[in-house]
Amino acid sequence: MTGLVAFLRKELTEIRRTWRLWVIPGILVFLGLTSPVIAVLTPALVHSMAATQPGVVIQLPAPTALDASGQFLKNLDQFVLIAVVIAGAGVVSGERSSGTAILVLTKPLSRGAFVIAKIVSQVMLLVAATALGTAACVGMTALLFDGSNAARLVTAVALWLLYASLLVVVMTLFSAAFRARGAAAGAGLGFYFLTLLFSNWSPAARYSFLGLLPAMRDALTGELPASSLGWPLTTAAAAIALGTAAAVRIFERQEL
Amino acid sequence: MSAADPAADAPAIELRGLTKRFGDTLALDHVDLVVRPGVVFGFLGRNGAGKTTALRILSGLARPTAGTAHVLGHDVTRMRDTVRASIGFLPDVPGFYPWMTAREYLDFAGRLFGLEPTTLEARADALLEMAGLASVTTRVGGFSRGMKQRLGIAQALINAPSLLMLDEPTSALDPIGRREVLEMVTSLRGRTTVFFSTHILADVERVCDAVAILERGRVVASAGIADLRARAAANRLMLEVEENAGAGAIADLLRGRAWVRSIETAERTLRMTVSDLPTAQREIPAVIVAAGVALRRFEIEEASLEEVFVELVGGAAR
Repeated sequence: MTGLVAFLRKELTEIRRTWRLWVIPGILVFLGLTSPVIAVLTPALVHSMAATQPGVVIQLPAPTALDASGQFLKNLDQFVLIAVVIAGAGVVSGERSSGTAILVLTKPLSRGAFVIAKIVSQVMLLVAATALGTAACVGMTALLFDGSNAARLVTAVALWLLYASLLVVVMTLFSAAFRARGAAAGAGLGFYFLTLLFSNWSPAARYSFLGLLPAMRDALTGELPASSLGWPLTTAAAAIALGTAAAVRIFERQEL
Repeated sequence: MSAADPAADAPAIELRGLTKRFGDTLALDHVDLVVRPGVVFGFLGRNGAGKTTALRILSGLARPTAGTAHVLGHDVTRMRDTVRASIGFLPDVPGFYPWMTAREYLDFAGRLFGLEPTTLEARADALLEMAGLASVTTRVGGFSRGMKQRLGIAQALINAPSLLMLDEPTSALDPIGRREVLEMVTSLRGRTTVFFSTHILADVERVCDAVAILERGRVVASAGIADLRARAAANRLMLEVEENAGAGAIADLLRGRAWVRSIETAERTLRMTVSDLPTAQREIPAVIVAAGVALRRFEIEEASLEEVFVELVGGAAR
């Protein structure tokens, strides 16, 4: 893995010095701050909408800290994962099309190190951004609600983070496989929607990484038996390892 | 024993039957080429002749369809990092990270080569000075193409390479930048093998010890510059006679002889290319005597590289 440290250092500096620092962390912090606010406002919004419909009466329980955390998780599932797909589509193909990959790969930097540095740096960014967003959510929830479910939220977010890391690996694989950024983004969105769909099918959820998504929601409500996590965690780790190996192999076989 | 040991007696570059095909297009067609260590070697050809494809294979970015390519004694398809550490490479359009400064890029490149910080700092200082970028603090994204090209050359030298491969290094430079790059290339002679592709004949004529001419994926000539000129000159003769009509009379007598390939006359001068110089040297004086013309000059002409190139490439294109 020659050149891995030098290239990883470059990747992290690039994150710090470009738009990449602001997009995913920005989205996560924004969602962390606004999710509890939306949970507070939702009953009032629903009531005001119902008031315009004669004869319609909607009774909603008072919002709780659990609603705030649930709203945050729902947003992670939707907006952040789509942002991960779009941001990850160009990680390899962008360097290939701009010619920057040619200059670095004719130096003592292996293609394996190139791909792994890309994955590691994206996951590091995602972990840091998720920590910030979760902290923002916990803080705002504490301000707006009585009681706390921070421990459950952290467990749920950790499960989400594992799934998001797998999505980072998949996007790096697509970005290595497709020359066009758009094609990688399209394939990534397809993967995302399919996994979302099949995560609702219990056999798939029980025996594969697809189980991470329902497990995340169960963790928040405290209904997650630890024994049910074996297959999802093991298969997620295996998929991350296999996806990384496949991305490296595909990139090694490509001509630049 | 270091991994670069096979390079000790090996050519800097050796291509044997190198072939590269893209679908139906034959980009390189059984290219044979040897570049000796320490020389400045020009890889000359028109746009689309296959120069960049050959350099991509030599730098490990592409694989040959058939044949072999060795760099510093190592097969490029199995090139290890220890070999890469001895090579400097500049592609035709170098791609830099736009958010970096020139200094940061050299530091990054040096770290990829595993250079010690003190060595890296000293080399980066010297190379930025050489590239005229020492006082430039703006990011690479704001550089002109010429500035990027100069930074590209600097980054290719950061590891003090044994073999420097440059793809069209002067094409984006203004006359002053071009002269500086060519002077830098000349200064490396004997210490570093420089292999550079170009379509600019004047650059090759100015700095190269040897040249290969590539046309439609085939090497149509490979030799030292002086040898190449001499080889072409050996077929070119010039006669100058005393009277205007004399050149035409001699041309009429020579046309049709088996060894005459072409004849051109202009006033008192006659230029011809021949296929058999000794026969031409024996028979032409007899023809002049038969024509009754007084001879002023009869010489074997020196050919310019441009004439050699046009003759070889024109012949291949036909």
